[in-house]
Amino acid sequence: MTEVSMTVNGRPVRADVPDNTLLADFLRENLELTGTHVGCDTAQCGACVVHVNGRAVKSCNIFALECEGAEVATIEGEAAPDGTLSAIQQAFQDHHGLQCGFCTPGMVMSAKALLAENPEPTEAEIRAYLKGNICRCTGYHNIVRAIMAASGQDVSNIAAE
Amino acid sequence: MSYHRPQDLASAYHLLAERAPRLLAGGTDVYASSEGPGRPDGAELLDITAIRALHGICPSPQGWRIGAATTWAEVAGADLPPALDALKQAAREIGSPQIQNRATVAGNLCNASPAADGVPPLLVLDAMVETGSLRRARMIPLRKFVTGPRTTALRTDEMVIAVHVPASAGKGASAFEKIGARRHMVISIAMAAARMVTRQGQITEAAISVGACSPVARRLTAFEKMLKGTAATRIADLRPHLEQELAECLSPIDDLRADAAYRAHVAGALVLRCLARAASGATSQPESEGEGP
Ligand SMILES: Cc1cc2nc3c(=O)[nH]c(=O)nc-3n(C[C@H](O)[C@H](O)[C@H](O)COP(=O)(O)OP(=O)(O)OC[C@H]3O[C@@H](n4cnc5c(N)ncnc54)[C@H](O)[C@@H]3O)c2cc1C
Ligand code: FES
Ligand code: FES
Repeated sequence: MTEVSMTVNGRPVRADVPDNTLLADFLRENLELTGTHVGCDTAQCGACVVHVNGRAVKSCNIFALECEGAEVATIEGEAAPDGTLSAIQQAFQDHHGLQCGFCTPGMVMSAKALLAENPEPTEAEIRAYLKGNICRCTGYHNIVRAIMAASGQDVSNIAAE
Repeated sequence: MSYHRPQDLASAYHLLAERAPRLLAGGTDVYASSEGPGRPDGAELLDITAIRALHGICPSPQGWRIGAATTWAEVAGADLPPALDALKQAAREIGSPQIQNRATVAGNLCNASPAADGVPPLLVLDAMVETGSLRRARMIPLRKFVTGPRTTALRTDEMVIAVHVPASAGKGASAFEKIGARRHMVISIAMAAARMVTRQGQITEAAISVGACSPVARRLTAFEKMLKGTAATRIADLRPHLEQELAECLSPIDDLRADAAYRAHVAGALVLRCLARAASGATSQPESEGEGP
């Protein structure tokens, strides 16, 4: 067991964990932040995407101990404390960007990283950026629309599914 | 499993010599190659990413030093001349943005997959691999560093500390092309890189490499020589010579991603595409000698 400390959604946390504890498991089991989903456990699907020091990473592919001293942001930090959704979350709701919701936390965290880098992405840029996020339900159209809408762009010309 | 995260190189060298741990950089190959999903095996892991000296890309009069912990995202975002475009293009093709945020250039070379996308661009850039250990420091040309599928020239107490691109390879323009079973997030069926320097439309220097079609990615030295002195617009006329060298020096395999005949066919097409793009980059430079670091 080794002690690890980091900041998760602005809150300092500290715990003793076995060395091989993955960040995804640390968030879900130790901190009970179960919004971070684990779909594949092999860095393929993107359901587990969180931010470490402002960069999107797959939390199934990184040890908690690798995040010593880091700032971690998860889907639980997106809505305001009173429950008001973030602009990206609200756009996913408005544009029906989710069905079962399993991929959604990772999609939202990836979208957030994209918009931080590129505040007005084109449809092609959004699709390319989301190549590491797999959705088995929506066919992606509405996810792309939601992200364009969240960035303040007009989506009336993009077909909905 | 026990996990070490030294803050400086000296501690890393001591751990390497005393405990023979497995090195961990971005972990994107280490995790994938482990027994049991997500959980790296190996009794000891040595994480090198907290060592500051291993981070970042440093230009100098000798060229560019890419620290061993530099990620593909950092390469993609770096201010580098057109001669290094092939490396930047490969950076954007490695997995997805979340992988590029973690995966390192050095990890890609050390993993020594025949399909490692970083190898062909670094071969046309005449890259050198700098290694360190308690006992010795070495500079190994990349073409001698990767010795076979999953094997490198590294000794057990050594690690890579940087990848160097010499200033002499900073001339001209370069391009990278890969093909997989779909557009994104794929292991390459074949890939190629080319770098070219031109003067008044004539090729004065050419470097070409092909990956995933032989145990280790290869330079096409005979075709490179033949291109010297040729007009950049006439490259396609020499295709039979290209096909001949590909047939002689590649040994593509049949596997679940593609059969050998398909690999051999696309390798030629990818090389020609890279050459065409490198040529247009090189000839559009005001002074095709390019910029220094
Ligand atoms: C979903 C996914 C998609 C991928 N897509 C691609 C792709 O499109 N193209 C591609 O080429 N690769 C791809 N990869 C493989 C991988 O991301 C790259 O090879 C990456 O560059 C490896 O870097 P890393 O820092 O993660 O290496 P690690 O996994 O940390 O290490 C890889 C190997 O190198 C050793 N090592 C690491 N650093 C050093 C060092 N400094 N000195 C000595 N040994 C060292 C490790 O012990 C290990 O054996 C993908 C991986 C995943 C999980
Ligand atoms: S659970 Fe991490 S990428 Fe699928
Ligand atoms: S909404 Fe079900 S997987 Fe994306």
